[in-house]
Amino acid sequence: MLLKIALRNLLRHKRRTFFSAITIAVGMLFFIAMDSIMAGMDRGAIDNMVALRTAAIRLQTRQYAEEQDALPLKYGIDNFESIRSNLLKDKRIKGVTGRTRFIGQMSIYTDMKPIIGTVIEPATDSTVFSLRDYIEGAYFSEGNEREILLGKDLAEELGLNVGDYVTLYAMTRYDSHNADDFKIIGVVATTDPVINGSGVFISQAGGDSFLDLEGLRTDVMVGVHRKVNLRDFLKEIRAVQSTIHTAYPDLIAQNVLEQEAGFFEIAKSKRGFGMVFLAVILLIAGVGIFNTVLMSVYERIREIGVLRAFGLRQGEMTRLFLIEGAVTGIFGVALGLALGTVVNVLLVKYGYPLDKLAGDAMGDFPIWGTIYGEWNFRVWLAVSFFAIVVATIAGYIPARKAGSMEIISTLRFF
Amino acid sequence: MAILEMKAVTREYHKGEQVVHALRGVDLTIEKGAFLSIVGPSGSGKSTLLNIIGCLDSPTGGEVVYNGTLLGSMSENALADYRKNHIAFIFQSYNLIPVLTVRENVELPLVIEKKWSRDQMREKAMAVLKAVELDSMAGRLPKELSGGQEQRVAIARALVKQPLVVLADEPTANLDSKTAENIISIMQRLNTEQQTTFIFSTHDKLMEQHARRVVVLHDGQIASDSRKEG
Repeated sequence: MLLKIALRNLLRHKRRTFFSAITIAVGMLFFIAMDSIMAGMDRGAIDNMVALRTAAIRLQTRQYAEEQDALPLKYGIDNFESIRSNLLKDKRIKGVTGRTRFIGQMSIYTDMKPIIGTVIEPATDSTVFSLRDYIEGAYFSEGNEREILLGKDLAEELGLNVGDYVTLYAMTRYDSHNADDFKIIGVVATTDPVINGSGVFISQAGGDSFLDLEGLRTDVMVGVHRKVNLRDFLKEIRAVQSTIHTAYPDLIAQNVLEQEAGFFEIAKSKRGFGMVFLAVILLIAGVGIFNTVLMSVYERIREIGVLRAFGLRQGEMTRLFLIEGAVTGIFGVALGLALGTVVNVLLVKYGYPLDKLAGDAMGDFPIWGTIYGEWNFRVWLAVSFFAIVVATIAGYIPARKAGSMEIISTLRFF
Repeated sequence: MAILEMKAVTREYHKGEQVVHALRGVDLTIEKGAFLSIVGPSGSGKSTLLNIIGCLDSPTGGEVVYNGTLLGSMSENALADYRKNHIAFIFQSYNLIPVLTVRENVELPLVIEKKWSRDQMREKAMAVLKAVELDSMAGRLPKELSGGQEQRVAIARALVKQPLVVLADEPTANLDSKTAENIISIMQRLNTEQQTTFIFSTHDKLMEQHARRVVVLHDGQIASDSRKEG
């Protein structure tokens, strides 16, 4: 009956209840949309990194890993082919390729630009990376060692087109200087702004002759079959990483999250900001509910008196008004979840055009184009619980006031 | 047999530095099954006396013994339980809960008692509504009733838990004479049939005429206490 009284009183003041609840709903809607976009950005960033830069897992020698900021060419993986054939026996692994990064400079006669180049294996790179899908122009031809792929933005910045020549300067594996001309066979326009802005790729054959690599690869890049759910995908990557670590304890195996730890720390702090944002909105909603319950208490002073006169205890009276606060909160949460579901369906299906809306503000964020939302029900559940708790606490002070009122002052009895 | 004994009850209020003596040493014994009217001019202490009888207020001096129980030392919750189990109220302005139907309003004291099933509560509510001839309006909201009907619902609500004592504040004040007669006859019938004690304050001569005992208050003291034969 107390619940019935609470519900009917809320219904009696539909507009007031609605406005209190809508504040919570709007807060939840914004948080759900923001969380979905952020999770989508994380997902997009991880997909981009895995598909274009880091692979799911990267193996390096211990010495190389310690000095990798300098990108030294003297610590290669010795038994690369053996590792590759062994790893490919694992059904969870979709491909294995070698990559080697090098520091150099690129000259177009009138301008010179420092670069970090990447040596790739044309035949196997596509089993791990999707670089080939983004090429405008041609891919590496067999036997031609002086071919180069450039990031689209880099090419545009330097006024270069497919068919033009550039000169690369770099230190070889044996610390001697080398320079040679390379023909631009294609430009890569990926969904990763870092590759678009600074990507320079040459083939393993080109690296062997230009950098004296002699078949050396500093990085073994391992691709893992993608899973729709990010959590499952990361779980699979970690499981494969653990298997690799057991098989090759002398090598350092790092997954995508470990390789890009700095980025994911920033992403985490952005989520923290989202939580603060939600807390502020729910605080405002809490003030609204406080006010609603307080108004309800003052409007129903006689009713409080009647119930107390018939023997309702102080605690029970407090509970009656607490129910009203909590029910308002639950209604707001339900509304917020409904609105959040609608918005998230749109975000998951049609995405969020980051490039059109954010412009250049995204800087080196490793994702571009349209970001698609993610379903994150655990967060929804946590936020719903939090919102109901806030609503209940907000209703507590006025509810307690209702419980502690003197009966004769509420009733004006006799 | 006395259901209520008040011994040298005083009640003082402080209004700033001024002390108001609402009751000055009231001695009153009320028997079970009484049909008692408290009358007196405004400010004579009627409200204070009924507040104390109803356990809604505590005396500053003297003692109140209810059916053998001394109320003075009871906690707030114990007093709430006492009201719940033994006392019912009929208010001048009815004070029905506007969001509940007639039947739900009548069931309310049983809900607070927490010892009846839903079916039992419904059965008891309908029985008492039939007694006040409002069973056909059980599903209506208070705003759909006339003043007389609302007061009959308030009576039904007071009687549904079969209390020892019903306290009524000017129960006929807002009613026309025909409806007032009807209400009084219902109260008398229940008083006779169930031995329920009725204590009411009134200015209504009709009500006063039907009382079997009339206590007149003046300046916080009992000025007269008269009983009628039969």
